[in-house]
Amino acid sequence: MLNSATASRRPLGAGSTLRGVRALARADRARGWLFLLPALAAYGMFVLWPLANSVKYSFYNWDGINPAKWVGLSNYGQVFSNAALYSAIEHSGILIIFFSFLPTGLGLALAAFMRSAIAGRLGTVARVVIFLPQVVALVAAGIAWSWLLGYSGAINQIFYTPIDAVLKLVGLGAAKQAWLGSFQFALPGVGLIGVWVMLGFCTVLLTVGMGKIDPSLYEASQLDGAGPVREFFDITLPSLRQEIGVCLTVTMIAALSAFDIVYISTQGGPANQTMVPGLEIYLLAFTNREVGLASALAIVLVALVVVCIVPIQWYVNRGTQS
Amino acid sequence: MASLEFDAVSKSYDQQHWTLRDLSFTVSDGEFLVLVGPSGCGKTTALRMLAGFEDISQGEIRIGGVRINETPPRERDIAMVFQNYALYPHMTVADNIGYGLKVRGMAKAERRARVVKTAEMLGLSAELDRKPSQLSGGQRQRVAMGRAIVREPQAFLMDEPLSNLDARLRVRMRTEIARLQRDLNVTTVYVTHDQVEAMTMADRVAVMNGGLLQQLDTPQRIYAHPANLFVATFIGSPAMNILKADLSKRDDQVWCKVGDYSFPLPASTLNANPGIRAALGTTIAIGVRPNAVTVTGGQYPNGLPGEVRIAEGLGSEVLAHIEVAASRVETEAASEAPDLPLGHTDTSIIVASLKEESLIARGERVTLTFDSEHIHFFDPQTGASLRSGAATAPSSAPTLADLSTAVQAAGAERVV
Ligand SMILES: Nc1ncnc2c1ncn2[C@@H]1O[C@H](COP(=O)(O)OP(=O)(O)OP(=O)(O)O)[C@@H](O)[C@H]1O
Ligand SMILES: [Mg+2]
Repeated sequence: MLNSATASRRPLGAGSTLRGVRALARADRARGWLFLLPALAAYGMFVLWPLANSVKYSFYNWDGINPAKWVGLSNYGQVFSNAALYSAIEHSGILIIFFSFLPTGLGLALAAFMRSAIAGRLGTVARVVIFLPQVVALVAAGIAWSWLLGYSGAINQIFYTPIDAVLKLVGLGAAKQAWLGSFQFALPGVGLIGVWVMLGFCTVLLTVGMGKIDPSLYEASQLDGAGPVREFFDITLPSLRQEIGVCLTVTMIAALSAFDIVYISTQGGPANQTMVPGLEIYLLAFTNREVGLASALAIVLVALVVVCIVPIQWYVNRGTQS
Repeated sequence: MASLEFDAVSKSYDQQHWTLRDLSFTVSDGEFLVLVGPSGCGKTTALRMLAGFEDISQGEIRIGGVRINETPPRERDIAMVFQNYALYPHMTVADNIGYGLKVRGMAKAERRARVVKTAEMLGLSAELDRKPSQLSGGQRQRVAMGRAIVREPQAFLMDEPLSNLDARLRVRMRTEIARLQRDLNVTTVYVTHDQVEAMTMADRVAVMNGGLLQQLDTPQRIYAHPANLFVATFIGSPAMNILKADLSKRDDQVWCKVGDYSFPLPASTLNANPGIRAALGTTIAIGVRPNAVTVTGGQYPNGLPGEVRIAEGLGSEVLAHIEVAASRVETEAASEAPDLPLGHTDTSIIVASLKEESLIARGERVTLTFDSEHIHFFDPQTGASLRSGAATAPSSAPTLADLSTAVQAAGAERVV
C-alpha cells in the first residue's frame, strides 16, 4: 500500500495515472495469487496430479510393479463390456435413489413437518437426533447397521419375531433372514444405511432454508386462499431451490463414490450384488493389481458424477439468476 | 364488499399486558379508514387480527355482520398489502397478481384477462413477464396492490404500504391509492404512523395510543376538534402548543390567564366548551395551533411577552420558536421536543407559524396573542377536551384480572 500512496501523490497526467493504476492492479493481482499459492499447491499435488496420473494409467496395462504397457482404449472397452464392472455402475444408479432422492424427499417432508408441528426445545432435540448420523464415522455406521440387519440383529428381533409367529401359525416359513446376505435385499439394505446417514444432512439443510423464507409470503398466500399443500408447492419448494440443489449434489456424489459403507457392511457381496464402482476400483487396484483398469473405471466414475451434477447445478442457477 | 366491525376487541400476547384494549369501531361499506398512532400502539396487531394471523383474546370481529373470530385467513376473503409487499419472488408479475385467482380455480383465459386489466389500471402492462427482483420499489408496490385488487375482495388491509418508498414516490402513490380505493369502492383499513397520510387519504381517521382508541372521526373534525391532549398534539404539524391556563370569573366575564396574559373568553367559546364553567377557579390546559398564534414585534401590555429563540424558514412559512413565561403541560409530544429549556416548567416554547415575509429574527422581543375562537381547552388530569360532544377519555379498559379470565376462557374454548 506504500507505493499506492506515493503514486497518487505524484502529479501525473491523466494517461500516466491510468498506466500507474494498471500497474498497481497488476501488482495487486500478483499479490492475490501469492496468497492463493499454498492452497493451489496442495490442490495441485493432491487432486490434479493424481487425476492426471489416473487418466494416464487408464491407457496402460500396469500391475503396479512391472513397467506399464500402453494399451490405448482397451481398458475403457472392458469397463463397458465386462458385465461385472457394468453392473457396479448400475448398482450406484440404484444407490442414488437411496442416498439422494429418498433423503432429499424425506428431508423436505420432515423439515416441513418440524416447522409446523414441533416448536421450541422439542424441535431442537428432534433436529439434533436427526442430524446425529452425520457425526458418526461411516465405518462405525457400517458396522452398527450390519449388526442391526444381521440374522440375530435388532431388526429381526423387533419386527420379524412377531411376523414369523403369525407366519408359523398359518403354516408358512420364517421371513427372518440375514438381510445383507440376501441376493434380493442386500443392495436395498446398504441403501437403507445411506438413507439413515444422509437424511440428517438434508433435513438440517432444508430446515435452515425454510427458516429463511419470509413468513409474510405464507401469510400472503393464505389470504390468496392457498391451503397447506399449495403453500408447500408454491412457496416452500420454489424458495428451497438452492438448498435442494446442494442436497442432491452432495448426496449424489456420496452415492456414486460410495465405498466405506459397502466395504464394511457387505464387501460387495453376496455374489457382487452390492458391488459399487468405488469398491471395485479398490479391489482392482490393490487385490487384482490391475491399476490401468481401475483407473479407467475411476475416470468413467468421474465422468458419471459430472453428468449427474451438471443438470442439477444448471437447474439451481437458472432459478436464482433471473 | 362489506362492513367491518370491531366489537370490544382486546389482545394480549404475553397474557400480562394488553396490547389492545377494548377496541370498538365500525368501518362502513366502501369506507377508507386510516389507523394512525405512534410506534407500538397496536395498529399492526389490530390489522393482523382482522386478517386472521393473530387470535383475538377478547371481543368479536365481524365482516359483513358475520363473526369471523374462528375463520381461517383463507376463508375471510380479504386482501392485504404488506409493508415489504411479500411478492412471491419466483413468480412473474402476472403470476403474482393472478395467484389468488388460480388458487380459487379460475380458468386460465379469464384469469389472464383479469390480470391484464388490473395491470393496465396500475400501469404495469409492460412488466407482466418480469420477476419482482427486476422491479423498482414503486412497481413492486403496484404489484402488491394489483394482487389485492384483482380478487375483488370484501376488504383491503394495508400496513404502512408506502413506508419503503422515497418521499416523492410516497406522495404520488398516496393519491393513487386513494383514487383507486374510491374507484373500486372497497372497504379499506389502512395503517400508518404518518399523520399526513392519515389526513390526506382517509374518509375517517382512527387515532390510537397505547392500545386504546383515542378518537375516530373525519380528518377535518379530528384536526378542528381533537378529543384529548394526545390527539391534539399527535395530529397537525407542527404540533399544537399546550400551555397551562387559569380560569376565573370577573365582572361577569370568564377570564383565561396564561402567564401574565389575561384575556376574556367570549360567550360562543363558553357555549362550545361547557366544561369550562365547571373548571372555573382551576388550572386547565389550553392548546393553540401554530397558525392561530399572532406575533407582534415589540412588547405590549395586552399579550404574552416572549423572545424568539429560533426562526426556521420553510419557504412558504417561517416557524418561530418563541420562549414565553408560561407554564407548560407535559405531553408525550412535548417531552420529545428538543428545544425546551430543561427543568424550567415556568417557561415554555411556543411555535408560531408566520407568513414568509415576516422578518422575524432570533433574539427579537415579541408579543403573542391568541385567537380565542381557535383555542382548545383540556382537562389537565384526564387530557379530555372540555368541548361539548367530544368523546370523554377512553372508556374504562378491562383490568388485568379480566385478562386472566379472558385467557382462561379462550383456552377453554380452544380445548372444546
Ligand atoms: N408477536 C408478538 N409477540 C409479542 N408481542 C408483540 C408481538 N407483536 C407485537 N407485539 C407487541 O405489541 C405492541 C404493538 O405492536 P404493533 O406491531 O401492533 O405496533 P404498531 O402500532 O404496528 O407499531 P409500528 O408503527 O412500529 O408498526 C408492541 O409493544 C409490540 O412489542
Ligand atoms: Mg406496525
